[in-house]
Amino acid sequence: MSEPVLRLDSVERSYHMGSEEVRAVRGVSLEIGAGEYVAIVGPSGCGKSTLLNLLGAIDRPDRGHVYLDGRDVGALGDGEATALRLRRIGFVFQRFHLLAALSARENVELPMSEAGVGRTERAARARELLAYVGLAAREKHRPPQLSGGEQQRVAIARALANRPALVLADEPTGELDARTGSEIAALFRRLNDDGTTLVVVTHDEDLASAAKRTIHMRDGLVVRDELAASVAAAQR
Amino acid sequence: MIGRLVVASLTGHRARTLLAVAGVAVSAALLLDMVMLSSGMRESFRSLLTSRGFDLRVAPKGTLPFDTEATIADATAAMAALRESPDIVAVAPVLGGTIHLPRAGGAAVSSVALGVDPRVQGDYVLLGGREPRDDEMVANDALLAAAARQVGDTLTIAGGYDPQLRRFLAPRVVRISGRVRFVYLARDQRAAAMPLAALQALGGPTRRDRVSLMMIRARPGADIEQVRAWIARRLPKVTAISTATAIAQVEERLSYFRQLAFILGSVSLAVGVLLVGTLVTVSVNERIGEFAVLRAIGIARRTITAQIMIEGAALMFAGAFLGLALGLVTARYLNTILASFPGLPQSIDFFLFQPRAAWTALGLLAAAGVAAGAWPAWRGASLPIARVLREEAA
Amino acid sequence: MRLHLDELQSLTSYGDRVHRFAVQTRGGPHLDRAVAAIDAAAFGFVAHRSKDVAVETSATFAVVSRFHRAIGVITVVASAIFLLCILLLKVDERRRDVAALRLSGISRVTIVKSIVIEASVLTVFGTLFGIALGWIATVIVNVHYQGVYRTPLRFALVTPQTIVFALVLSIVLGILAGALAALRLARAHPLALLGRR
Repeated sequence: MSEPVLRLDSVERSYHMGSEEVRAVRGVSLEIGAGEYVAIVGPSGCGKSTLLNLLGAIDRPDRGHVYLDGRDVGALGDGEATALRLRRIGFVFQRFHLLAALSARENVELPMSEAGVGRTERAARARELLAYVGLAAREKHRPPQLSGGEQQRVAIARALANRPALVLADEPTGELDARTGSEIAALFRRLNDDGTTLVVVTHDEDLASAAKRTIHMRDGLVVRDELAASVAAAQR
Repeated sequence: MIGRLVVASLTGHRARTLLAVAGVAVSAALLLDMVMLSSGMRESFRSLLTSRGFDLRVAPKGTLPFDTEATIADATAAMAALRESPDIVAVAPVLGGTIHLPRAGGAAVSSVALGVDPRVQGDYVLLGGREPRDDEMVANDALLAAAARQVGDTLTIAGGYDPQLRRFLAPRVVRISGRVRFVYLARDQRAAAMPLAALQALGGPTRRDRVSLMMIRARPGADIEQVRAWIARRLPKVTAISTATAIAQVEERLSYFRQLAFILGSVSLAVGVLLVGTLVTVSVNERIGEFAVLRAIGIARRTITAQIMIEGAALMFAGAFLGLALGLVTARYLNTILASFPGLPQSIDFFLFQPRAAWTALGLLAAAGVAAGAWPAWRGASLPIARVLREEAA
Repeated sequence: MRLHLDELQSLTSYGDRVHRFAVQTRGGPHLDRAVAAIDAAAFGFVAHRSKDVAVETSATFAVVSRFHRAIGVITVVASAIFLLCILLLKVDERRRDVAALRLSGISRVTIVKSIVIEASVLTVFGTLFGIALGWIATVIVNVHYQGVYRTPLRFALVTPQTIVFALVLSIVLGILAGALAALRLARAHPLALLGRR
């Protein structure tokens, strides 16, 4: 296996829902290597999304460590964590979360603008990414003028803007119909084939089956971590 | 990109943005008006007092010029005494009185009359004709209209009226030698001016060699306070008032307007700031999900804070700019109301635009509004990302 | 300083003269008859009704009154704008709730009514609070200026008419602002309120 892009070491995370304390992640250790395509599956409330937030330096563990490219994410200050997310991680959300006031191209340019990329260069890259996801002709459209699938494609393009080390996706097909979901699943496969490290949290069987490795979670713990049959066979 | 986001956010809620700008504009207008009011009277009065080049006014002891009917006795000797000072280059005597213009049927038109030395007078500006000689007078438009006369005409004037006998006292015929505008009188106040001796004669024995006021022009570079002190020693029965003292005394009498200006100005400032602070807070509360996502994809806290604060600043500056125009219009309207005070000199403005004070006030409003948005902006950009995303998903 | 009339006349060598007489009548038609009789009877005398004298000598106060009224109008306009802006914000915040209600079958009319009632209640309470605040300010103004000018004159007065005027104006503005804000929200399609259209 290649050098791990991500390493979790006995990570725990709890939070409060009203007066109740929820132990969302209860001691998870795992490694994810460069170029992997990992699906995290499990029933609702098992801690998948919390785990993804920890992987993406959006949240900090109560105990344990999360290492991204060898750096302990939990020890980073807010500014450093933000810079890390900007340059090393791409996020795709279930509800797309595009800015409705900006065009598709401007949404893709947003992280590049923050990273200080010049106007001409970021416009060119944004067009390139939109072409990659099949939306070259829709660059001037704003999110309300796009379908759900198109919005998710734009979100994926945005996630790729700063050439991240890894892309994290939280239920990327959750708001899409089956056909559109399949298209997104195909796009993820293509991304991974082109070398992008992917970690996807999903209920979608199509999306999960496209992954090369599936981590099953229940009650905040990893209960099973298995390679896809084809990958296991190839390794044998 | 921040600029783009700011424009998008403001144009995305057009009604809200327009109302907020309108609200700030009204606050700014009222604030500007109050700033203009607080210094307007003082500066306008100063300008009036110094417009004719006289530095001191000498009035009967313990009074302000024309505050009472008291007069200074032995005026000739007093003026000669004043001229002894090398610092005093001109002494302009003024006697105030009333003249009556008899009309058919026993009616009369009465008018303010000033007895002056036409060679050094500072009470009027000649608009037509020439200065009055013996048996002549100059009059303003209000008196000319009331008397139905024009320059060159003669008319009968009287120094007094006995109501019991219904008789005019000491009538004489004078010629109108000029048309004037009286600097210190109200626009519609009927007034005439004539040589001092003529008015003293009209007033009878009680007015012989008396004046109401002497205006002093000092040598350029002279220390006005020293001249004032010299006059106080030389003529103990009079009060010498410098321009600064006169202004201070008038200001004290009109302190109500300064206090009103301060209170209303403060309220306007507070309300404008409150409006923008509330708007920013509500706007932030609506968009915390959006901000959490931006933070998640790597947009820095300071970028988001800056975006929110620039939105607030844009509202404040747009409102302040509009408020400037609105304030000038409302100031003019309010000034016409206050200018109708009975007896107010027509040159006095209550609302005076002074660029420095105006920009300071509007700048303060804008800065305060921006600052009011700082806390909600920082709060919005600093919320825990994971928690907000969780709550948004719920 | 007050003296007996004859003593002051003697002191000033004024003789048997006065500046004016103050006359008390039985009022009503007696007043009119008295005025006519005095004007007709005495040489060079003119009788002035006290209220006419009051009006003429109150010219300065009339100007101040007009000025205050103008400031009042400006303040009312400003308040109306602020009220509309704040209500718009408040109502906008509840966009999703309104969308959920509309999707559940609650009619536009019901939603508008509830928002207008809420705005009216807020307005009434705000007005009562404002009147109380205004009354306190009146007391402070009077105490202060009566001290400064050493006069028993009252500078600010809260009358039943001003209270009624304030109440009516505030409530009307509040209801209007609430209705405008509510109509704007109720007109939008529920899915648009949820950002899905």
